[in-house]
Amino acid sequence: MSLLEVKNIKKSFENTRVLNDISFSMEKGQAVSIIGSSGSGKTTLLRCLNFLERPDGGTITVAGEKLFDANDMGKVSEAEIRRKRLHFGLVFQSFNLFPQYTALENVTIAPRLAAKEQNRLAMDEAAIKERALMLLDQMGLSDRTGNYPHQLSGGQAQRVAIARALAMQPDILCFDEPTSALDPELTGEVLKVIRGLADAHTTMIIVTHEMAFARDVADYVIFMDGGNIVEQGNAKDVIDNPRQERTKKFLSGYS
Amino acid sequence: MFYTVTISLLEGFATTLKLFVMTLVFSLPLGLIISFGSMNKLGIIRYPIRTIIWIIRGTPLLLQLLVIYYGPGIIGGVNIWGSGDGGRMFAALVAFVINYSCYFSEIYRGGIQSIPVGQYEAGQVLGMTKSQIFCRIILLQVIKRIVPPMSNEIITLVKDTSLARVIAVYEIIWSGQAFIKSAGIIWPLFYTGVFYLVFSGLLTILFHAVEKKLDYFVV
Repeated sequence: MSLLEVKNIKKSFENTRVLNDISFSMEKGQAVSIIGSSGSGKTTLLRCLNFLERPDGGTITVAGEKLFDANDMGKVSEAEIRRKRLHFGLVFQSFNLFPQYTALENVTIAPRLAAKEQNRLAMDEAAIKERALMLLDQMGLSDRTGNYPHQLSGGQAQRVAIARALAMQPDILCFDEPTSALDPELTGEVLKVIRGLADAHTTMIIVTHEMAFARDVADYVIFMDGGNIVEQGNAKDVIDNPRQERTKKFLSGYS
Repeated sequence: MFYTVTISLLEGFATTLKLFVMTLVFSLPLGLIISFGSMNKLGIIRYPIRTIIWIIRGTPLLLQLLVIYYGPGIIGGVNIWGSGDGGRMFAALVAFVINYSCYFSEIYRGGIQSIPVGQYEAGQVLGMTKSQIFCRIILLQVIKRIVPPMSNEIITLVKDTSLARVIAVYEIIWSGQAFIKSAGIIWPLFYTGVFYLVFSGLLTILFHAVEKKLDYFVV
């Protein structure tokens, strides 16, 4: 059984169709890359998975549990949505770190609030901090834990954001163009971290414009255009030998 | 004479200070509630509140004081404020709270709406509740952004309290003016300016300290 199964997801804004019957599935431990030109619906798809947008149709199933069913919505409570969205983590293009908190606090705030709600904060506090420090160390930021976001470079900020998302232990970690706001040098350090996560078999969906990276790191690639999945398959196959004309045209812009 | 005047002005200034502090105590939280109303998705809540804000910001506070103090008596036939000093003070307080809540609400609204939507979304995808996001993520960023406009408004309030004398609240200007009639001297009235200056100077120092305190992060 697949870890994630997305079926017939549709989404329109006003009268514009943004997602047109999107279906795909992925296994645990896989890294899936979504590529395509701007406006093709990649980001909207990620936002649907993270419950930041509500699809007009379709279903989303994780590990056999139907998280979203367009035919069966409306009665889902806010608390339910909060629980469901924790299957996913999301790393934003613009980091969205909390400016008033240090790197460490950015990573611990959500687990601390979750523990507090269950009246377990006193019990879990030390473990939460330890895990956050471990994650920041894994991101190569052990000397930056006490810094505030404005004291970090873009690459460092994005790595804090990755640690922050991992702290909630999502089943699937989503990246929405994680390096689009970074210069090439900083892009390299973030991609290195994501590559490390892939090597450790972290289940990930990566929306990216870095074709070489998608080819090397992702197991599977989905090419989207105009709200449709045009082509999908093994990453190297799709990127090296695209079959569809539209994919060829898109990829030719990169070589 | 100088001593007598100073004591008399200090008494007036106590009333000024009382009106100032009480207005802040009530209008700072009320303004936040009004700002939520003015941003409400439902037009049935949003439009009436924006209309009230428009009326309050669009008319002089002096006029509002008179309407609130004399209005109930003229329209309903009963003076709900009573006849004593306390009643006039209370009417003045009501007028000031309404007026300043509306101004504060617009400052809050500006501050809240200036926070990037990504801050809310980052909180959401981390599983935080709406109130956790507001209290833990948004609020401090809003406070940092609104300290300068707030300090402006609050320093204006110090001086606006002098309008309360129109309904015979014995604040410091009233005390100073009284010496014109009683002793034929005008300098006590000018001397009241010193009290305002010292007090707004202290507030300026306080707001600088708050700004400095929030300097550790950048929004």
